[in-house]
Amino acid sequence: MSVKVSPLDVVHRELGAKMAAFGGWEMPITYPTGTLIEHAACRNSAAMFDVSHLGTVRVSGVNAFECLQSAFTNDLNKISVGRAQYTHLLDQFDASVLDDIIVWWVRDDVFDVMPNASNTARVQEAIGGVDTTDTRAIIAVQGPQARQVVAKASPQAATVGRFRVAEMEILGARCTIAGTGYTGEDGLEIAVPVARAAELWRALAAAGGVPAGLGARDTLRLEAGLPLHGHELGDGINPLEAGLEWAVSWDKETFRGRGALKATKETGLTKKLIGITIEGRRPARDGTSVLLNDEIIGCVSSGNFSPTLGYCIAMAFVSVDTPVGQDVLLDVRGTMLEGKVIKLPFVAKKK
Amino acid sequence: MNLPTNLRYTSDHEWVAGDGPRVRIGITDYAQDALGDIVFIQLPTVGNTVAKSASFSEIESTKSVNDVYAPIAGVVVAVNELLGSKPELINTDPYGDGWICEIECNPSDLENLLTEEAYKLLLGH
Repeated sequence: MSVKVSPLDVVHRELGAKMAAFGGWEMPITYPTGTLIEHAACRNSAAMFDVSHLGTVRVSGVNAFECLQSAFTNDLNKISVGRAQYTHLLDQFDASVLDDIIVWWVRDDVFDVMPNASNTARVQEAIGGVDTTDTRAIIAVQGPQARQVVAKASPQAATVGRFRVAEMEILGARCTIAGTGYTGEDGLEIAVPVARAAELWRALAAAGGVPAGLGARDTLRLEAGLPLHGHELGDGINPLEAGLEWAVSWDKETFRGRGALKATKETGLTKKLIGITIEGRRPARDGTSVLLNDEIIGCVSSGNFSPTLGYCIAMAFVSVDTPVGQDVLLDVRGTMLEGKVIKLPFVAKKK
Repeated sequence: MNLPTNLRYTSDHEWVAGDGPRVRIGITDYAQDALGDIVFIQLPTVGNTVAKSASFSEIESTKSVNDVYAPIAGVVVAVNELLGSKPELINTDPYGDGWICEIECNPSDLENLLTEEAYKLLLGH
């Protein structure tokens, strides 16, 4: 597989970004500002991320609604045109989460299904549609001042509400805007035609958006307790174990993997996703064992230093009987770190 | 790329200051830039004997964990305690306040380290 480059690649290189492979794409991990400053910009003002590596599969036509309804766990009847929904595609036989997806309901019979970069092909296999990933860039503007930044390019775009979707022109380019993101902050994601992407990026940067890389995106989503496919979701992990039953509509009579998930629910779960706060600055990364009374009760799925909190945090799958408040130990290459089980998220959005 | 001419270097991107027997050690500007924002360092233990090229410290950045290799054999005689609460000093001042430790070594071993010129060649500059 050849490595794909973002339509914004030239902009990232101008800015001196450090690039790295991510999900088959070469993407900016950090700019010379550094991950910690980029992270703080998103929490305190406005950061902007190139997330063009996310997939877009456009499903349209009179059968589009039913197609998505029968494939995904969440119920599109809960929303309507002009809204976005978080949903899962499950394995038919063991209800593992094959991908977690945001659906943008763009027009009556037009849906933009947004898989994770490396899962675009398997999602398209399940739902058909047209892969339009190469036609657009996606710029995510996130943070308490995200809307002020977007408003300087387009006052109208800045009014798109949380989990709302709208099509409109920004600086003369036909864009799709959604009030979605992956940072735990308010913000907007803008799909812009490839040929106009660099111009929009520069306009948003000039308006005060701080370019931020995927390194900061990862520490931000971790603080917000948001799952990353391949860590908190994936083979051998169903939505119930990941604490995401709210994205499963049992009211729907059929969806892919429903039977397998129902059976698992009735049998009882063996593990659940929790948060752990850790004393000190030493990260307990994915794969770290979680111990209680000298016994391994679980495993860290993602962990890092929390720039906002100033200490380390981790998400982990542990045995279902582990209560909130439980003191645990984490085995970081032989050094035992003290942790405490908490309810996610670590950092809640400021109201 | 900041490369002081008065230091000696290793191919693992550490620097060594002084003519011995007591020398000061840190990581290079190139290394700190490659690691990204540093959030933690496991300092070596004062009094420990270290072998050349053995891992004797760990640096954690927001990206990953990385070993620091002893540029020279000897005994650890001091560590930079300031890094416990301010590990970012390694990023902001790698040759100054971001020093890692001091080792007492055999001065003749220093001849095996790289000059600034040789290290620059190794970096491809």
